[in-house]
Amino acid sequence: MRTLRSLQSAKRLKLIIALVIPSIILILPTSVFPFDGLTIIQQRVIALFFLAALFWVLEPIPIFATSVLLITLELILLSDSGLSLLQHPADASFGNMLSYKEIMATFASPVILLFLGGFFLAEAASKYRLDQNIAGLLLPKFGKNPKIVLLGLMSLSAVFSMFMSNTATTAMMLAIIIPLLKTFPAEDKSKIAFILGIPFAANLGGLGTPIGTPPNAIALKFLSDAHLTFGKWMAFGVPIVLVMLVLCWLLMIAFFPASSKEVNLSIKVDFLKTPKAKLVYLTFIITILLWLLDFAHGMNSYVVAMIPVCVFITTGVINKEDLKGISWDVLWLVSGGIALGLALEKTGLATLVIQSIPFDQFHPYAVFTFCSLIGLIMANFMSHTATANLLLPLMATIGTSIANMQQVGGSVYMVVATTFCISLGMSLPISSPPNALANATGLVQTKDMAKVGVLVGIIGWLLVLGMMIILYLIDFLS
Amino acid sequence: MENLTIILVEDQREVLQAIAKDLEKFEELIRIEECESAAEAESVMKQIIDRGDYVAVIVSDHVMPNKNGVDFLIEVNTNPTFKRTRKILLTALATHQDTIQAINKANIDLYLEKPWKKEELVLAVSTMLTHFILDSGLAYTPYVSLLNSEILFTKLRNASDV
Repeated sequence: MRTLRSLQSAKRLKLIIALVIPSIILILPTSVFPFDGLTIIQQRVIALFFLAALFWVLEPIPIFATSVLLITLELILLSDSGLSLLQHPADASFGNMLSYKEIMATFASPVILLFLGGFFLAEAASKYRLDQNIAGLLLPKFGKNPKIVLLGLMSLSAVFSMFMSNTATTAMMLAIIIPLLKTFPAEDKSKIAFILGIPFAANLGGLGTPIGTPPNAIALKFLSDAHLTFGKWMAFGVPIVLVMLVLCWLLMIAFFPASSKEVNLSIKVDFLKTPKAKLVYLTFIITILLWLLDFAHGMNSYVVAMIPVCVFITTGVINKEDLKGISWDVLWLVSGGIALGLALEKTGLATLVIQSIPFDQFHPYAVFTFCSLIGLIMANFMSHTATANLLLPLMATIGTSIANMQQVGGSVYMVVATTFCISLGMSLPISSPPNALANATGLVQTKDMAKVGVLVGIIGWLLVLGMMIILYLIDFLS
Repeated sequence: MENLTIILVEDQREVLQAIAKDLEKFEELIRIEECESAAEAESVMKQIIDRGDYVAVIVSDHVMPNKNGVDFLIEVNTNPTFKRTRKILLTALATHQDTIQAINKANIDLYLEKPWKKEELVLAVSTMLTHFILDSGLAYTPYVSLLNSEILFTKLRNASDV
């Protein structure tokens, strides 16, 4: 009880801090801020940015609730249909208001619908046990050597998490191996490798496709000018996943060697053969093919995403009840990120702030390296999506408004590198929900997770930087 | 963090304390209320609901003076406020008729026999707690150390990355 009480009073304190600091920012005169020509609207955006940052870091309320709070406050304080008492359009220093339609449209922006399509595929796959059956079909092919079985589990986790949420993938794979681990001798360290390998691989797999993990959605929003297609993303995302997966596997078998010679995984495979199940298999394959072949048919990935939504709804594969199970919280969380980005960009605040910081004095590679490192560090301590919501609009602005950043590719490379580094944050149970699930087994200690997680983070960070240099040299993303 | 409560109902004080002792580890994050009769449990539960808090799990003895455990749980079951509350019946001498009532009318989730084993009781409560937290849409991450991980993994098959 004492733990609970202290947690609850800590939560109250966090809520007070998260409300008081933005309020102070809101009531100060514009002249105290070190930015020339700061408008009243821009000052409000600063307050909202602090509000969002404090709420997302301290989490006094659920992170998706913060997004809704942010969007509502933007509508009231910044929009052309906001509270009229707070509007002074005659005043030259008031600044430009945002269109309320544009703010509301963040709830249905193309990336949100792309993710909705991904959620429908994942929901149908799990409802018709496609994911479990594929795992059951493929895992026995990896034989009985514990090291190879671990590689098999990690590879499948990575592939599944490219299309399903990292958390759902981890939950499914852990459910498969927990009964197996109970048969292991108590002192066999490889148990830790199995339990950590799955969430780590699932986190890594999220990098592989645009729909792999929610931070990718925010990235896509800021990359909309770069015409980054589904296939193009996979062309550089999948190689990074592959290399990281092998490195992560090597770390696991080095740190937590197996003492038993053989493991026996037996999973019942029972592919459903009903017409609806076949429709799910077919839709899954066709949607992925359409995503990859957009150059051939002209429909972009956002339009393609509506196809599984439409097929599953019209045929009753996803019914009214299933619809309630869709992760609307993620969609709203991402919407909040897009709305924050919109406010920072459209009011001109992002450019004003970034230009007042003398980034030009540093070598562009130093800025690049530093920014992606910030992403990696923050993502270890808070939600990956919230990190992306806060950082990516700033990264995009650094990339476009600082002249010498063009030497390293500008905002496209800044955004992609930071997004990837955010997904590499996995050294603590609080870093990501998959990590929390590994922790829930009670079979791993935080220090084991931290040991491998920090190494994966640092190696991955260097790899991402290297990859960006190669992509820039071959001019892949422009 | 929400205020979750586990209600224990048992008319014999020593037995009540023994149950509470076995469930000690839950007290780190969850309130445990010890009640010596169904009537006391009802008034405690009313206070909890009036505060806006949750009754997550009830562990009730069967044979008690005045209102017995099955009748108490039937009333809980018909109250929509407690539709997600998980019910465990702890019983030594259940007749066939009692069992039928407990399943058909009280909709109990778990039947434990007296004398119980500590591990059995702890597993039962942690399983019920896992169901309650996930069904109620509460954040599960703060509670993972108390939850049944197998149930958690099965129920999170559609979980998001938030």
